[in-house]
Amino acid sequence: MIPYKHYGLLAIVSLMWIVGCSSPYVENNMIEEIAPVVFWSIDKGTEGKFKISTLVPPLIKEKKRFLSKEVDLLKQGGKEFNLIYYRELKQGQLRMLLINEELAKEGGIEKLINTILVDPDISMRVYLLIVRGDFDEYIKNQLTKQENQDYFLYRMLKHYEEHNQGEMSIVNIHQFMKMLYSPLKDPIVPVFHADKNNFNYVGTAFFRNDKEVMVTQDVSDEIFQLLDNDHFLKVLAIPKLSISLGRVRSNIRMKLSSDYSSLSLHVGLKGRIEEYQGEKNIQSEEPLEHLIHEIEVYLEEQTSELLKSMQRLKVDPLEVGTHSLKPFSKELTEEQWLKYWGNMKINVDFDIKIQPLINVERLS
Amino acid sequence: MVEKHDPQMKNHQMSTWLDDLKQKLNHMDDAEIIEHRIGTGASVHLLFIKTLIDQERLNEAILQPLQRSAGHSVSSCIINSKVSEVISIEDAGQKIMQGFILLYDSVNDQWLGVQLENPLGRAVEPSQTETVIYGAKDSFSEQIDKNITMLRRRLPITTLKTESFTIGSLSKTKVVLMYIDGIINPEFVSLAREKIESVDFDQFLDSAQLAAFIEDHNHTVFPQFLQTDRPDACAYALGEGKLTLLVSNSPFALICPITLFHLFQSPEDYFLRWPVASFLRLMRYGSFIISLTMIPFYVALTTFHYQMVPLPILFVLLESRSKLPFTPFVEGIFMIVTLEIIKEASLRMPTKTSQTLGVIGGIVIGQAAVEAGFASKVLIVLMGISAIAFFLVPNYQMTKSMVLLQVLLLILASFLGLPGIVIGLIGILAHIHALTSLGQPYLAPLSPFYGKDWIDLFIRGPLIWMKTRPNNLKPLQKWRQEKMKK
Repeated sequence: MIPYKHYGLLAIVSLMWIVGCSSPYVENNMIEEIAPVVFWSIDKGTEGKFKISTLVPPLIKEKKRFLSKEVDLLKQGGKEFNLIYYRELKQGQLRMLLINEELAKEGGIEKLINTILVDPDISMRVYLLIVRGDFDEYIKNQLTKQENQDYFLYRMLKHYEEHNQGEMSIVNIHQFMKMLYSPLKDPIVPVFHADKNNFNYVGTAFFRNDKEVMVTQDVSDEIFQLLDNDHFLKVLAIPKLSISLGRVRSNIRMKLSSDYSSLSLHVGLKGRIEEYQGEKNIQSEEPLEHLIHEIEVYLEEQTSELLKSMQRLKVDPLEVGTHSLKPFSKELTEEQWLKYWGNMKINVDFDIKIQPLINVERLS
Repeated sequence: MVEKHDPQMKNHQMSTWLDDLKQKLNHMDDAEIIEHRIGTGASVHLLFIKTLIDQERLNEAILQPLQRSAGHSVSSCIINSKVSEVISIEDAGQKIMQGFILLYDSVNDQWLGVQLENPLGRAVEPSQTETVIYGAKDSFSEQIDKNITMLRRRLPITTLKTESFTIGSLSKTKVVLMYIDGIINPEFVSLAREKIESVDFDQFLDSAQLAAFIEDHNHTVFPQFLQTDRPDACAYALGEGKLTLLVSNSPFALICPITLFHLFQSPEDYFLRWPVASFLRLMRYGSFIISLTMIPFYVALTTFHYQMVPLPILFVLLESRSKLPFTPFVEGIFMIVTLEIIKEASLRMPTKTSQTLGVIGGIVIGQAAVEAGFASKVLIVLMGISAIAFFLVPNYQMTKSMVLLQVLLLILASFLGLPGIVIGLIGILAHIHALTSLGQPYLAPLSPFYGKDWIDLFIRGPLIWMKTRPNNLKPLQKWRQEKMKK
């Protein structure tokens, strides 16, 4: 005789299992009748409307078609696409949300992102991108050259996201919302420039609430990668000093003064010289030390500038504010912190340890 | 030596039986009635069916001694150990059909039966159904006595008991219940005895038929008896505290009580190194799950949950399904049925033809079905994996049952998607949980929980650690070691 208590246990486990798996109310859409959308591109339309566009279908052996609509609401766009296309567009595989920079500068992208976020069909794997220029023109032009451009874009983002490669600031929708609602951290999104033939990474856009306030580019963006994003750079090229450092890893220490009037930022950098086109003889220790000192000074200047611009715009993507948190003491409000942050004196100190790839003659 | 029966039972008009028996043997060409005169001048009648008896031994054991006999008693000159007195005309009829020779001794007015059954049967051959690379190569044959011998040689102990039963009003099939007294829980023996005695049917041609009559649940797809033709597997089971049923004319013995997990165990598990055996056993469980759920999973994903499919795989799926006229469910069912047809056909055909069939079948389902638009490439790949995974489960009956379960899950998946598969699996699990084999829980030692038995459950632990017999069998002797017995 089997004890009936086991049935109860079995029922509970089963219920947990069912609930955990997925919703029992599912739509019946067969895979051959759907056209998953890999990206939505959102731009400013006329008369306060949105212009949304995408490519369908992501099938390999079917000719791709570029769809674009001017609508008041995001979901409306999806619906209108369905009415002109023979397959039902589904966002279950939506991987990229491209927002035009002008729209991002105006603010209000939180609502767009929320629409995507609350849709149970859409996973958390959606990458966010800010696009400078005309993305539609680029993708239309590329369709003739490279049919699966949408998929290749996604693979590029995925590649740079994995293993913290320290080349791009890749952000997914979930991370963006987390940063948006965090009182002591401001969101960041990567910025790309698009024109008819190119789609290039520009830098990192800093947001105050959901409005883009600044974009770091070139060396500033590389410093930002070292300070916050990945703490790693495969290559740090400093053209001014004619040097490329490779496999740079950073170790950041921040210290706030007790009255929040100053911040000491200590950056320990480790890396190796991979290329040097300058005049100095780096095979000798003294000129090498001198070069390292020059790099330190250069990076300190650049970092100070970057931080100052952040202070000026009252954005804190580096989470400096979290260093104000202490046990058993009241947390600062966002307003209080930004007030302190705006007036804070910043001391940046770089300590660089470099492996030259060549023999160095030591001074005796 | 003559077995004496109660004189009260004896029919005093035995001379009249001869006519009755002649009547019974009417229209039987192979029936022989010989009148033989012995030295005293008295006549002895011999009745037998010549196709059932060993005619050479008839000559040696009966005819020649009778020829030379000068005595008065027929029984004293028969050279055979299996001589018994016939007590009724029904008994006489039954004995003659079992390969006995009936002798009428007119001097003593006595009927005797001498067993001279023709030892017709095949030699001991390697097992065809449960082949192993290492381990014993002999397998049971259709002769029950030979089968008992094979077991007795493996377990030469006086506590190995055999109990015989005859079942089937037409087939008169002999069933032998075997167990080791002192190890097996007596409850199992009495329950098995009771069940066999209550069997009432006309014909039993195989042990599977007997199993159908004595199993606890008739309407399940899960076998509740382990059917094996390997004497070593039977001997191991007996030693563990299980019982074995041998059925005459069947080369398959039944082992019970069993659990679901026994269906995943192969005799070879115990001959290989334990980590290897454990890995193989885990593979079997894995392939069981894969073969059951892979096609339903495909149907669920392609019908309901495309969101779960990673984009690169979705590309492949979309491309492969884009030109198909059928729904994933129809496609799945079509492929499962086709595969079953090919499997069944290749079983029924001669070996050489079945190879051709395999090749043609493979091309038909592998290539032409895709090109004709009947099935997608992805499904063909999954079908192949699933079909191969089926064969990893060592129990053939279980493999056959699994197709039904697969179809059940497929139907649920086509209606409800993944929750359908989950509900199906829960249903199957609940069903297994409610099953019993000879009154013992089918899901033991998982539920009810017997922790120590887990050493030989999902993995096959080192033999030196298996010091106790499985607790779920409640054996009388728990320890396998001599010293621990005391």
